Amino acid sequence: MKLWAIYRFELAYQLRRAFPWVLLAAMFVIGFLLARDGSLSVALHDEFFINSSFAVAKSTVVGSLAWLLFGAAVAGDAGARDIASGMAPLAFTTPVTRWQYLGGRFLAALSINVLAQLTVQLGIIVSVYAPGVDPGMVGPFRAATYLTAFCYIALPNLIVATAVQFAVSVRSGRPMSAYIGSVSLLFLSFILGIFLFQQGRLDLARLFDPIGVQFILSDLSHLWTAYEKRWRMLALEGRLLENRLAWLGVAAAVCAWTYATFRFAHRSGGGWVARWRRRRAASEPAGTDEAAMRAVATTPIVVPRARRQFGVIGQCRQTLAIASASFRAVATSRPGLAMLIGIPLLTVLVVLDQMSLDGVPLIPTTVQVLEELTAPVSAEMSRWVIVPMLLIYFAGELLWRERDAGLSDVTDAMPGSEWVGVLGKFLGLAAVLVAFTTMQLGAAVLAQRILDYSQFEWGLYVIALFGLQLPEYLLFAMLALALHVVVNQKYLGHLVAVAAYVMITLAPVFGLEHNLLIYGAGPFWDYTELRGFGVSLAPWFWFKAYWAAWAVLLAVVARLLWRRSRDDTWRARLALARARRTPATMRVATAAAVAVLGTGGYVFYNTNVLHAYENAEQLTRDAVEYERRYAGFAATPQPVIAATSLRIEIHPETRSAEIRGSYRLVNRTGVAVDTLHVAMARRVETQGLMLRGVDVPASVDAALGHAIIPLSAPLAPGDSAELTFTVRAAARGFRESGADQAILPNGTAFQSAWLPLIGYQRLREVSSASARRQFGLPTRPLIPSLYDEREWVARGRGAMFDATIGTPEDLVAVAPGALRRSWTENGRRYVHFATSAPIGEEYIITAARYAVRRSRAGGVEVRMYHNPARDAHLERMERSVHASIATYTELFGPYPYDHLTVVERPPRGTGMHADPSVISHGEGFPLWQPHERPGSLDLPFAVVAHEMGHEWGVPYAYVEGIPIMSESLAWYYAMQVIRRERGEAQVRRLLTFMRQPHVYPPIRRGEPLLRGLDPYLSYRKGPFALHALSEYAGADRVNLALRRLRERHRQADAPLATTLDLYRELRTAIPDSLHPLLHDLFEVNTFWEFEAERARAEPLGDGRWRVTLEARARKVVADSSGTEREVPLDEWIDVGVFAQAPSGAAERLAPLVLERRRIRSGRQTLVFDVAGKPDLAGIDPRHVLDWVEEEDDSNLVPVTLPPTR
Amino acid sequence: MELHIRDVAKAYPNGVQALKHVSLTIPFGMYGLLGPNGAGKSTLMRILATLQDADAGSVRLGEIDVLTQKDAVRQTLGYLPQEFGVYPNISAEAMLDHFALLKGITERAARREVVHALLKQVNLWDVRRQKLGGYSGGMRQRFGVAVALLGEPTLLIVDEPTAGLDPAERVRFLNLLSELGERAVVLLSTHIVDDVSELCTRMAIIDQGEILLEAEPLRAVADLGGQVWRRVIAKTELAAVQREQAVISTKLLAGRTLVRVHAATSPGPGWETAEPDLEDVYFAALAGRIGRRASADGGGR
Repeated sequence: MKLWAIYRFELAYQLRRAFPWVLLAAMFVIGFLLARDGSLSVALHDEFFINSSFAVAKSTVVGSLAWLLFGAAVAGDAGARDIASGMAPLAFTTPVTRWQYLGGRFLAALSINVLAQLTVQLGIIVSVYAPGVDPGMVGPFRAATYLTAFCYIALPNLIVATAVQFAVSVRSGRPMSAYIGSVSLLFLSFILGIFLFQQGRLDLARLFDPIGVQFILSDLSHLWTAYEKRWRMLALEGRLLENRLAWLGVAAAVCAWTYATFRFAHRSGGGWVARWRRRRAASEPAGTDEAAMRAVATTPIVVPRARRQFGVIGQCRQTLAIASASFRAVATSRPGLAMLIGIPLLTVLVVLDQMSLDGVPLIPTTVQVLEELTAPVSAEMSRWVIVPMLLIYFAGELLWRERDAGLSDVTDAMPGSEWVGVLGKFLGLAAVLVAFTTMQLGAAVLAQRILDYSQFEWGLYVIALFGLQLPEYLLFAMLALALHVVVNQKYLGHLVAVAAYVMITLAPVFGLEHNLLIYGAGPFWDYTELRGFGVSLAPWFWFKAYWAAWAVLLAVVARLLWRRSRDDTWRARLALARARRTPATMRVATAAAVAVLGTGGYVFYNTNVLHAYENAEQLTRDAVEYERRYAGFAATPQPVIAATSLRIEIHPETRSAEIRGSYRLVNRTGVAVDTLHVAMARRVETQGLMLRGVDVPASVDAALGHAIIPLSAPLAPGDSAELTFTVRAAARGFRESGADQAILPNGTAFQSAWLPLIGYQRLREVSSASARRQFGLPTRPLIPSLYDEREWVARGRGAMFDATIGTPEDLVAVAPGALRRSWTENGRRYVHFATSAPIGEEYIITAARYAVRRSRAGGVEVRMYHNPARDAHLERMERSVHASIATYTELFGPYPYDHLTVVERPPRGTGMHADPSVISHGEGFPLWQPHERPGSLDLPFAVVAHEMGHEWGVPYAYVEGIPIMSESLAWYYAMQVIRRERGEAQVRRLLTFMRQPHVYPPIRRGEPLLRGLDPYLSYRKGPFALHALSEYAGADRVNLALRRLRERHRQADAPLATTLDLYRELRTAIPDSLHPLLHDLFEVNTFWEFEAERARAEPLGDGRWRVTLEARARKVVADSSGTEREVPLDEWIDVGVFAQAPSGAAERLAPLVLERRRIRSGRQTLVFDVAGKPDLAGIDPRHVLDWVEEEDDSNLVPVTLPPTR
Repeated sequence: MELHIRDVAKAYPNGVQALKHVSLTIPFGMYGLLGPNGAGKSTLMRILATLQDADAGSVRLGEIDVLTQKDAVRQTLGYLPQEFGVYPNISAEAMLDHFALLKGITERAARREVVHALLKQVNLWDVRRQKLGGYSGGMRQRFGVAVALLGEPTLLIVDEPTAGLDPAERVRFLNLLSELGERAVVLLSTHIVDDVSELCTRMAIIDQGEILLEAEPLRAVADLGGQVWRRVIAKTELAAVQREQAVISTKLLAGRTLVRVHAATSPGPGWETAEPDLEDVYFAALAGRIGRRASADGGGR
């Protein structure tokens, strides 16, 4: 059979070449490394086997992704070799059918790709069983693990990708266009997936993931319990099945399209533009060749002598000519147009989409938009990964341009240095990048215009895009070009360049952490409105200068190895390279090497000499050592800090601060304290420890930050003593991670973490189980058990706080407390803050050119410090703050302080954080401006209310369930404020927003709420449960329980609260009949599932209707290992019938009847008589218990009306 | 200025010895390098055009060492490879202008003049704005000539230039070359004997990497005077004739075979003397009747 013959020939042909074998080797290495480094580190943390189905599936997905970019040439070659090599006239005129030709070629490519993916599995297996793995990490061997990963993930992936690569290459007649097919597949699905995800269409987003990275795997990581990650086998079901079927469908469609459009025909070349031009040219009359020939033959033509220049100027012109030709070649190609026009168009959409957060618009300031447009080249999850991918392709195309056209003999014999070629092509790429950047700038401005924003900061745009982002790309362009030159084989060149890119993005996996070792890397710049670029530019510049010097060396290598000869052996190339070591070139190389050493030396001096270089391993080792040396003192009785007094001098001009502090220490234990343990912070100097005003002979371990102070006179129970100290923070130069941005001329912000703490600090311990095992530390849970009573004991009640802060005159300093005094002294401005009640150990000190807005709420003075340029948000924030103070005081008890501070601080971002009496927020929060229209959610208002809720927090223990005690309660509190201030409808909108899956996707299994730690449990399920309880028991009862909880635990000698205390208070406050519900909500994972199937109505006359609703109900309990079990349901559930809501109404549902009826498991029929025309009917229509609210809400169903007569 | 090639050898990684100690002296004017396909012509041409390095030997163009001073050679070189492609989507004029710049003609106005003159000279003036992708084989070849002529080369290497040309174009092309021969060293490689006989003042015959004969075409033909014999025989007799005689060439003629043999005296009855031509020289050299192969065999019969 001919198909078989074509298949065999193609397979044999490709396998005779080096590329497939290099690909197989690369895939093996990738499989090995992924299982070793990728899964291993995660596995150690999560405690699953590195050969569990979950781990192997993860590695398989990433392996697929790597293959997609590495291996495109296989299908590309199969699809386009005949056309590219000029064999097409011979091949196309043989008596084969399209089916045989395409089928054989496609299947051969597919076979090689199957081999490549099998090699990934082989790499994983070898990695698991080769030496060097902790045997405890290896589970039993199960062949199905590898088979399922291969068959369900890798195989469909490679069928789809091979189909796309093959289609594109057959269509274009260019083998490497298959790579563009790969990149497009990846990019489009990625962009589209993210877009759909953000639109809340997680279901569709999952479908659009061709490889399984974004959604399938993140789903598994997120939804599978620890037990399942160890033991569960990947199965072809549910989302995975849907996704795989969808993409196999796509693959079939692509293949059909290839088959349908392919012709055994001569390619006239060029796209429609070229065809159109040709047609125009053809219609122009041209003189006949014959006549012209005779005419010319009779008149001899003298070619004038022209002066020729071979000097520097001539070469510069030649370089520019090649650059412009290269630019034109790229810019007029399809991928080039996609980059220069397609991507900027997408950028407009991306910016439009990103200029809102959680459905609330953000003011599209230039900084905000720039954040969407800029990313380090090494950010593998950034959407701009497409740029390096395209650069690799363009570099290859440019480098091979002459050879692909068969023109290289002519051009290579032209005079001039190889520099002309190297630099010309590089500048061509650079010109493409400049054009791209310009288009991106245009796209950004266009998006701002569309969003009705016109305060364009052109200077910032130019600096950020051309000055900072462009060099990132330029450095990579040089690398891609140089690699193509060195490798000198087109497909391998792509593979090597992509591999280099993978190395850059995943450098830590390969053991490279220091930015001096990762090509092009360095700390990224940072810009905020308050601090501008701060001091982020200097480290950026020095690292980039260092890499630019390397890039020059790469250019030298490219020039030495520039292919300009028919001899492609390495011996010949090296001989040529030796001959090309001209003095000029060696001078350039020397200068670049000197620059590498100079800039590298300066950087190294900053990162490793001025500062200790702290990589992850070093930090772990320090933590281990800290625990080894000092954990013995964990139980040593220690006094607590009862009062803190600070005198802070901030000197932005030297990027330094000096904090002279004193603690009043009180011995609240029952025994005398004879030794004081002081924990000191990293990165600052803590000096001058004095107790009771005298120097103490402390043994200070500066490296690990621990001082042991023997007390000459022991501190008796109840006694107090004063500990004074000086903390100096002085930023010098920069660290490997960038410059310290704490102290700046505007936008200074630092945490209390700089100050010393008393006693052994358990939070400094290594928590990862694997690291603990590796270093021989005793195993311990990530967080103490809920039932660990030792943790319930309160060790202190916070400290009174006062601080005097000195700053340059133009700055306003902010610390917790009321502003007691401010004055000027010696040209410096001083402020004195003092709290009216104790605060905790965590707080923030800031200083900036703030404006302040003051107001009073009850007895509380509210001060809001903000960037004077941003004030549109203040009123909303103030309203929420005031409403919160009023509501919480009434419902949950008094606010402890007579002052409240809200302060804006860098960096950007909308994040808000509450410390006692202080709420701080990122510079993005003021940009968050909700729609002022009915039916829209005022999320910023809710977020402020939530943070204010933390101010009424219960003192809680550091045990499981801790975020339920803080976050869940704060959200429940916020609902009470919103209900009072904005009405019930706004609460329901908030709940609808919270039920969307895209900030915190729902988790069905795992720990119950009482022991909850996960963000979904704390930010979503906890509030849902409390809200459901308040719906059933009444908000008053729940509020009362929370009030009692707070009162009880704020008493002086009360233990710290846990979820058990919360549970007890709730249980006391609600009727006995609701105890089962409380149990279902908190003690186990219960899920209520309701579905309204159909509803019909018949008129009863007088405008009354009888509505019959058929509904289904189900109740499921899931245990922590992930097993789900249906339990009988017999509860009172909301059911209702709704009229059509008037347009523009605040509420979506207008109830005709909404009542609670007894609902049992299974299908049931409910009958309602209503006084009004019914539109919808539903069961649990407001999702009080069923927390899944999808776009097509299955709890509601339209009512079918009888046909009108 | 002369081109001196001394003992140049070149082997490919696959073991093929493409050139074995080739020595030639190529003076000003047209020089023909004649040889069958695979003789090593293109390898030699590429070495001269700086695109390949010789394993051994030296090549000098006047004062320039061709093997090491590549850029100096390139500045004075015009090269028309045997096979070359073009960028399909650019006009001849733009492409030629680009090449002119690469050849060092940096001044825009001068470049324009040169390009225009060359386009006229190679008769592409009327189609100068057409995309090269639409050019016929002959037009493409003439475009290649124009590129080779840029910058007034003193060393012009043209590798099998007439292969794809129709007869009229070939004539024109050869005329163009002979004009150039007045100002440069022109090395023309070909396997078409007529190209050499019509144009070249000197020639060399190369086969299997060796120079078999270096001569002036006219003299070489004259030297064969009286030694070429012809006879028309039946096809069946051919084997016997080939056994007994030094056959130079055979040609089918209306079902019978015309045989030409080399012999100092009449090989026998039925043979008549033939007027020798360059083709006889070529085939005699290849067959080892004359030239280096003959002397290596210890002289012809």
